Amino acid sequence: MIDVIGLVLKYSNGKGIFDLNFSVDEGEVMGYLGPNGAGKTTTIRALLGFMQPNSGTCLIGVLDCTDNAPEIQTTLGYIPGEIAFLDGMNGNEFLKFMNDMRNTKDLSRQNQLIEMFELDTKGKIKKFSKGMKQKLGIVTAFMHNPSVLILDEPTSGLDPLMQNRFVELIMEEKKKGKTILMSSHRFEEIERTCDNVLIIKDGRIVEQSDVHSLKNKQRRGFIIKPQDITPAILALKSAGFEVKEAAYNTIEVFITGEDVDRFIKTAAQFTILNFDVKNQSLEDIFMKFYGREGK
Amino acid sequence: MSYTLFKTTLKKNWVLLIIFFAVLTMYLGIMVSMYDPNEIETLISMLRLFPEDLMEAMGFSGLVTDLTGYLASWLYGLLMFGFPMVYCIILGNKLVAKLVDNGSFAYLLSTPNSRVKIIVTQGIYALASIAALFAGLFGTGVLICEAMFPGYLDVGAFLSLNFTTMLVNMAVMMISFFFSCLFNDTKMSLGFGSGVPIAFILMNMLGGTSRDAHVLKSFSIYGLYDPLELIRGADIWNINLVYIVTIIVLFVAAVLVFRKKRLPL
Repeated sequence: MIDVIGLVLKYSNGKGIFDLNFSVDEGEVMGYLGPNGAGKTTTIRALLGFMQPNSGTCLIGVLDCTDNAPEIQTTLGYIPGEIAFLDGMNGNEFLKFMNDMRNTKDLSRQNQLIEMFELDTKGKIKKFSKGMKQKLGIVTAFMHNPSVLILDEPTSGLDPLMQNRFVELIMEEKKKGKTILMSSHRFEEIERTCDNVLIIKDGRIVEQSDVHSLKNKQRRGFIIKPQDITPAILALKSAGFEVKEAAYNTIEVFITGEDVDRFIKTAAQFTILNFDVKNQSLEDIFMKFYGREGK
Repeated sequence: MSYTLFKTTLKKNWVLLIIFFAVLTMYLGIMVSMYDPNEIETLISMLRLFPEDLMEAMGFSGLVTDLTGYLASWLYGLLMFGFPMVYCIILGNKLVAKLVDNGSFAYLLSTPNSRVKIIVTQGIYALASIAALFAGLFGTGVLICEAMFPGYLDVGAFLSLNFTTMLVNMAVMMISFFFSCLFNDTKMSLGFGSGVPIAFILMNMLGGTSRDAHVLKSFSIYGLYDPLELIRGADIWNINLVYIVTIIVLFVAAVLVFRKKRLPL
């Protein structure tokens, strides 16, 4: 449904995206991850037709994103990474304006979404908080029942409750067979909603796989406090795990997905006083792709 | 042309138009009320005290005695394009560059309307608002004159004067509009969109001061005609045609430039 073929879009400062190839099938939810400045928004600019690529093509359905942008928009929902509404409007006026511009007559979906996100559309948009603006952006992107959705960090600014609502919304849309490309910084959100994940770095795709095998590649850290620290370290090390001694007689063990069972069986050989999961950011999980260690 | 967008643009910008209309109408009223058919000679003899070059620069060219000529030289020689120029600069920037700069243009493009359609709509609003401004000024001008000095105004000549002045302002509007479409940030759009018209006004003023500098005036978009000669029946249609062609060329150029450019949205 979304096809990106040999896409090159260079900026004058030498940044950009270089020879990007991927496709999102109909009904697929694709996560788009990468550090800041990697080229996520640039890709989206090309898909929306805001910027003409230097070479290569991108298609949505059978339509070219540069030449047929207006036709594509009839079936496309979009949340910008930096939302800016037309100024001087209140929420209702903006929604009505967008419906008129799109020639949408059926407002049932809009009202459902407003209720789902508990959005108050009466006030001036200018006075909205960041989260409120984000909600309005979500309603605007989904209210005309588009079959393809391109979402640039759709949950930024939302509180955890609303982030969950958003995940529910994506699941619902997925059941309806919508095609979704979504960039995010929260792995949990991607993990819960996406089938496949693309990772981009410095304008190039560095990894493309399904979420589950990616999760298995994911390094996870556990903090254990054994009764007797030295034999515990020895046992874990001989089993081939990455072990680090930490403060207060605790040790940190890093394992990847497939090793969980072996880790638990090894750890069962000694007495454990405390066991904890180390909190990890997306950067920790994909250390391989982020930062310098990727090279 | 998108009717919905036109309506929204009008809703957002009508106040600006009303302010300029109100100020110009006020000026018009004051100028007419200062006209006194009996004492105009006194006024002229007072004006003779000022250096002639200064008067020329301000556009107060001929020392005329009839009401139409009085308005042509005192109002339409500078004020009726100097002041609307500010309107053109503000509106031109607001219609495109400001929306691109703050990112809200993304929402216009995330509807099934092409860039061309959106820009044409904004451009039509720009021209229509100038047309409305001068239609209003012509109407109130006739009303004020007829109320104060019935029969003194040559309505036909006044209409022709307003029509050409409207065309000059539309051409200037399109200059600002073109730069608004060309640049992605407000700073550049405002810089060029105001710099070029201001340069034209200065050239027009300097060109009036001496015979040597007169060439400057003929390069200024404001200096192609003399309001006094216009109301005395000089052939203006070739000059009107120059303005109309300028308006069309700039409008088309603005659309073409915007159609393919990269938008940082």
